[in-house]
Amino acid sequence: MIVQQIVNAIGLGGIYALLALGLAIVFSIIGLINFAHGELMTVTGYVLLASLLFGVPFPVAVVVAVGAAALAALVMERVAFRPMRGASVTSLLLTSFAVSSLLKVLFQNGVSARPQPISMPSWMVGAFDVGGVSIGVGPAISIAVSVVALAGLEVFLRRTVTGKAMRAAAEDFDVVRLMGMSAGRIVATAFVLSGIFAGLAALLWVAQRASVDPLMGFTPVLKAFIATVVGGLGSLPGAVVGGFLLGATEVLLQATLPPELAPYRDAIVLSAVILVLLVRPSGVIPAVGAQRS
Amino acid sequence: MLSVEGLAVRYGEVEAVRRVDLAVGAGEIVALVGANGAGKSTTLGAVCGLLPAAAGRVVFDGAPVTGLAPELIARRGMALVPEGRRIFASLSVADNLELGGAVHLDRAALEARRDEMLALFPVLGRYYRHKGGNLSGGEQQMLAIARALMSKPKLVLFDEPSLGLAPQVIDVVFDLIARLRRDGLTVLLVEQNVALALEIADSAVVIANGEVVLSGTAGELAASDLVRQAYLGD
Repeated sequence: MIVQQIVNAIGLGGIYALLALGLAIVFSIIGLINFAHGELMTVTGYVLLASLLFGVPFPVAVVVAVGAAALAALVMERVAFRPMRGASVTSLLLTSFAVSSLLKVLFQNGVSARPQPISMPSWMVGAFDVGGVSIGVGPAISIAVSVVALAGLEVFLRRTVTGKAMRAAAEDFDVVRLMGMSAGRIVATAFVLSGIFAGLAALLWVAQRASVDPLMGFTPVLKAFIATVVGGLGSLPGAVVGGFLLGATEVLLQATLPPELAPYRDAIVLSAVILVLLVRPSGVIPAVGAQRS
Repeated sequence: MLSVEGLAVRYGEVEAVRRVDLAVGAGEIVALVGANGAGKSTTLGAVCGLLPAAAGRVVFDGAPVTGLAPELIARRGMALVPEGRRIFASLSVADNLELGGAVHLDRAALEARRDEMLALFPVLGRYYRHKGGNLSGGEQQMLAIARALMSKPKLVLFDEPSLGLAPQVIDVVFDLIARLRRDGLTVLLVEQNVALALEIADSAVVIANGEVVLSGTAGELAASDLVRQAYLGD
């Protein structure tokens, strides 16, 4: 039972970590909390649904769906956020709400406001036995995907010039530009990465719910936002830690709260978040800029 | 190498800098001196593209660069050693150096240039894998200078290189700037410490309240009553 809950906690934490990382990558460079990040999840869900309906093999559909999220993030940056470069944080935030609302309405009117069932492969559901302990396939896949994605991002950020430039831009974007690095390329790369992470998180989310709807990205992105704040706004390691902490807290409360207190789970989680921020106002692992200020 | 003509920079309604003219010839050190808040760093910001010019023009290496993005100006061969060093604290010394030249040089040239910088700044070799943020203020200044030099720039802008450094370290930094000039580098030096700046500069421009109030050779300025009374404490 304990092992199962640990696996569930890491699995859910992995999804939150992927989403939180996507938010943090963009925030760390242009100071934008992109609340349209959830709609990138929705794009992934609908493209996966459409691909499967058209008979595309599942592995190909997965690649196409994640690629669609990356492309959508890139288009979002070019169309909505690039013209707002240099605008205030409030203006950027309002723009992200506008993009989010627009896409929600497009999905509601262009597809359907109702959840659309999506049939995931049979091997993605159920459980398997490890030493007498039953482990859910969904959480196990979440863990595997999260670990591979996080490791891939780590290699990208530490081994490639673009990755190093992104880490540097998170500290001081102006100085990076003064070295001849293209601001547009760095920001576009950040959005593409955030799209890929939103796409991966969406696949894991959809696998658990087996349906897609226009509002499917709202709750997980709200949780991811909380995770980025807890971890340290703009801090990539903080986003990962915040995601796993939030996932673990939710699973722990789900497993231990008496039924009469279950409706208060989110309230308890948010109270814990407030406590963390009272002790560490800049988050668990503050961003370098936050440490300086 | 650099010509600034009638430059004006505004922050909203406030005109921080107006009618600034200055010229830097190849191989020269020109000092832009003045009190805190006079408009020196604002001028530098407009020259390197970080701040928009409200009026006037900047010509670098024979071509107008007014209004160009800072990355485009940097690619033409201008580098900045920023005020307060602004090294990338969470990146290693090695990564800081690599980013300084990555856009300008291919892999082999980048490694050769890095070796030259490590020979010029041996302390950076000792801390090569350490995070930039763990270096002392003087070591960070060396890193900021080496990072700017990685791109083999034609012109380096130094913004207050003495700020926050111990007197011995300041001497080292200014000796280094003078040595780089002897090796052919062109320098625009923004500095509050007027005496220090005039020691190594060929010529200088004095700026006060956003306007140029005096310019000439370093010797002429060092001998002028205005500079002696206002900046040299005589």
